[in-house]
Amino acid sequence: MELTDVESEAIYLSLKVSLWAVLVCLPLALPVSWLLARKEFIGKNVLNGIIHLPLVLPPVVMGYLLLVSFGSNGFLGAPLKEWFGITFVFSWRGAALAAAVVSFPLMVRTIRLSYEAMDRKLEAAAYTLGARPFRVFFTVTLPLILPGVLAGCILAYARCLGEFGATVTFVSNIPGETRTIPIAIYNLVQQPDGDAMAGRLVAISLVLAMVALVGAEFLNKRLAKILNG
Amino acid sequence: MRSFITALNKGILALAIVAGTAGAARADVLTIFSAVSTTNAMKEIIAAYKESGGEVRVSFGATSTLAKQIENGAPADIFLSADNKWMDRLEKAGFIKSETRVPVVANSLSLVKPKGSDFPMIKIEKGMKLKDALKGKRMAVGDTDHTAVGLYFKDAAKYLGIWEEVEPTLAMAPSVRAGLTMVERGEVGAGIVFKTSGLVSDKVEIIGDFPQESHGPITYPIAVVKSSANPAAAKFYAFLRTAPAKAAFAKYGFTPIME
Repeated sequence: MELTDVESEAIYLSLKVSLWAVLVCLPLALPVSWLLARKEFIGKNVLNGIIHLPLVLPPVVMGYLLLVSFGSNGFLGAPLKEWFGITFVFSWRGAALAAAVVSFPLMVRTIRLSYEAMDRKLEAAAYTLGARPFRVFFTVTLPLILPGVLAGCILAYARCLGEFGATVTFVSNIPGETRTIPIAIYNLVQQPDGDAMAGRLVAISLVLAMVALVGAEFLNKRLAKILNG
Repeated sequence: MRSFITALNKGILALAIVAGTAGAARADVLTIFSAVSTTNAMKEIIAAYKESGGEVRVSFGATSTLAKQIENGAPADIFLSADNKWMDRLEKAGFIKSETRVPVVANSLSLVKPKGSDFPMIKIEKGMKLKDALKGKRMAVGDTDHTAVGLYFKDAAKYLGIWEEVEPTLAMAPSVRAGLTMVERGEVGAGIVFKTSGLVSDKVEIIGDFPQESHGPITYPIAVVKSSANPAAAKFYAFLRTAPAKAAFAKYGFTPIME
């Protein structure tokens, strides 16, 4: 099957946007899920609620909130533009931001479970041997939760690939800039004669999803083998 | 425990009966699918129609979405579409009664800007300098591949000879309403909307209308869905021809043209 320009453009953009979204989420999700798993503090429920908002709010509402806050006149978007020259609206960075926000709760939930499931006596043992917290985290905790982190990343990545509502509301549909696979599919389905072309893209996204899931399963098995010696 | 179960079952039975009668009553209710851009006017018209004793359910949505729902057997009686292409498709595929198809209102295409912005009040004519006026900003418009507003704009821009230079500046929104939001928020230099949408927003200013000949008539056709056997459809048609219905359309910027 030969890919058309429109298709390869959408695929490339989807992969790029999703990758960046996961890369931005991960360093934030590790400490946030650690906080939620290990610490009791005032406002924990509020923090938990805020993180999970994108999961329960309609995606279109999320897109509107992003437009209001990160738009070039938004209360976050305006200073970002002025100080760093970063703009989100109508660019692939905005699409990545929308995907990141929407997939963040899924990553946090998964990683949090691994923190809770791991054997904390191993950390305690490392401390008794004189390791500092930093070292304990990177040599004991992180390797133990790695399968969970990987699962969180895959889940988030999959969610990013399918992200539509928040993205189209926030950054609209611009070919080569924000027209990811789901937006391209939506666009084609809306056209009186676009069903056949939409079908091709649906097939492509099915293949992408399968490759990602099978790849994740494979990685997970390899990882389990390495970790268990 | 047994009495509790009996009570629960009686309750479920009662609910089922209520739901059953409600369902039966609904068969006489006229179901209208209407393009989202007609929302304000249609709500007033339907309220007046109800006062005259008619029962109506209405579903507002993008024309394309509603048309697809009708193709998939949605139980609509009447379809008011924002463009003719989708109605053509339904008619060709035999989903509407051709003899009932008639244009109801006409609309115009307007160039709008965020209220108080420095976008110049340019004249809309052949070779107009729309791209220069944008000063590097984008212009919001409903998707030019499938939304009614986008398709009309594409025709108009080609007619005026500005399509090539304007196309790369477009921010294509999934609906005319979403495009309007981008203008209202000042995220774009200007936007293209239906005049009716521009008039209902107090955060945008209308710079001007595109000449009718640039995009052809923008008419909203109405038709009775083939599967409908509701006699109230004719009654609603008659109501649309009355002065109060036409006044409601005119109030929101439409030109009533139903004869």
